[in-house]
Amino acid sequence: MDEASGMHYWRAVMAVAKRWLTTYIRYPTWVISVLLWPVLFPFGYVFSMRALAGPTGEALSSFAQLAGTTDYVTFLVTGTTFWMWFNIMLWGLGGSFRMEQLRGTLESNWLAPLPKTFLAVGVFLAEALMGLVQLSMSMLTIALVYGVRLAGSPWALLSLILISIPSIYGTGLIFASLVLVAKEINGLIFFVRGLITVFCGVTYPIAVLPGWMQSVSRVLPLSHSVSAVRAVLAGGGFGTIAGQLRYLAVSGAVLMALGFLAYAIIQRRMLHAGTLGQH
Amino acid sequence: MLKGWPQHLRALGAIFRKDLQVFMSYPVNAVMRILEPLMWMTPVYFMARSFAVDGVNIGLRAYTGTTDYVAFFVLGAAISSYVSAVFWGMGFALKNEMDTGVLESNWLTPAPLLVQMLGRSLFSLFLTTVNMLMIGCCVWLLFGFEFTGRVLPALLTVAPLLVALYGFGLGLAGVVLITNNANNIIDLVSNNITILSGAHFPVTVLPRPLLAISLALPLTYAYDAVRGQLLGTTTLMPIAMAQAILVAFMFVTVTAGLIVFGRIQDRCRQMGTLAHH
Repeated sequence: MDEASGMHYWRAVMAVAKRWLTTYIRYPTWVISVLLWPVLFPFGYVFSMRALAGPTGEALSSFAQLAGTTDYVTFLVTGTTFWMWFNIMLWGLGGSFRMEQLRGTLESNWLAPLPKTFLAVGVFLAEALMGLVQLSMSMLTIALVYGVRLAGSPWALLSLILISIPSIYGTGLIFASLVLVAKEINGLIFFVRGLITVFCGVTYPIAVLPGWMQSVSRVLPLSHSVSAVRAVLAGGGFGTIAGQLRYLAVSGAVLMALGFLAYAIIQRRMLHAGTLGQH
Repeated sequence: MLKGWPQHLRALGAIFRKDLQVFMSYPVNAVMRILEPLMWMTPVYFMARSFAVDGVNIGLRAYTGTTDYVAFFVLGAAISSYVSAVFWGMGFALKNEMDTGVLESNWLTPAPLLVQMLGRSLFSLFLTTVNMLMIGCCVWLLFGFEFTGRVLPALLTVAPLLVALYGFGLGLAGVVLITNNANNIIDLVSNNITILSGAHFPVTVLPRPLLAISLALPLTYAYDAVRGQLLGTTTLMPIAMAQAILVAFMFVTVTAGLIVFGRIQDRCRQMGTLAHH
């Protein structure tokens, strides 16, 4: 790509990102997903845990043995906040190409004389930006409503969030490409987020799982993000989460590369098969 | 003009067949209808295990009289899935038709709008029933649970609730027409009403202000009465009283839903905003 085409490419990327953000803000109910959902989503789990703990906390000792804390509220809302970040990414980035397919604009956009990755990069940038805004707002609201406090290093927390981005959005790009082939998003989202809910220790300590499920859990980057955030909130710093940071950096690079590769493969396949406009 | 029930039934049948055809065209979706609830049940099972003392949920027993959290949750999930089926079946179907540009043309057909709205939820209800039966069997095999009471009286308890939900679903569909956005609104309303009504936990664990809201929601008494009938849990009030509340709720919501949807529909027609999305 020469300099002029490079400029055209980035202009197209920014146009996609701008269009995505404009559409997102166009529907005023986006506020709900940013401000209300992070507070409301854990609600059912918090009170289920309270019921399971018993009126005098008679069952809390069992939970503490597995989770290392009796503060089940902080344990839970940390898991659900990251789960929601992942979920919002799946619907946004994961559904972006599918939405264009449904609205009949995917074919015309792909006719632009640019490398077809401009769509993926544009949506990724907009989604990552909005995702970070949502995550920040979510953390603020759960701190206010559930009284979650950061006892550890804020810089470790920030680094952890930033280093989680490639693994989360890399998964999203792979997912978005698969959605184009399957031509169905709801079922796939339910499946992926279901796996995350089961294996990443969102609502319970991973130690309660059978051995084989714990092995699966250790492979998933989000398990590392969630456990590291819990460690930092409990007072940890860079030293406490060094292992998780390394794992997230490597898995993030691999997943981002796989994401763009999947997009390129699916794009070629659909152009050859002529199925781009079908839905 | 379509007049009389035979034509209305034909329209309902056509909408049902259309939805069935769409559903069967996306096999991934069909498979996920079974897998997804199991994926939601699995964390619940492990969450309950993480609080179990010597394998028994003594904390739950102190609140409800039962130690079987899986059965407690399954019953809540079954009722919630019908709430969700009616809400999504109506509101989300409207949004889908807006997005694909067929809402206006559908409204131009002689089939009354109410019949169209009812039709949109029929397949959803059918699917939910089949789904619940299959998932109930899977959860029973995987995690195990036991109902100690009789099923038929419990079904009669929830029957008026189902009719009442249609009234609520109509009002919600009206809101979707105004805001042009379905996901957030339906998710917010459907999820939080069910949770606040005790779909996942006994409402007695709620702090007083939330308990007051919960006790004002008729859905709370549906969860409570059905669990009382099938699991023998301690109920908030005598079951006959809860049943009377549900019947009254049915008349109120159906009337209110019809009024709200009718007014919003007229407004959309006057403003010409039906095709906006």
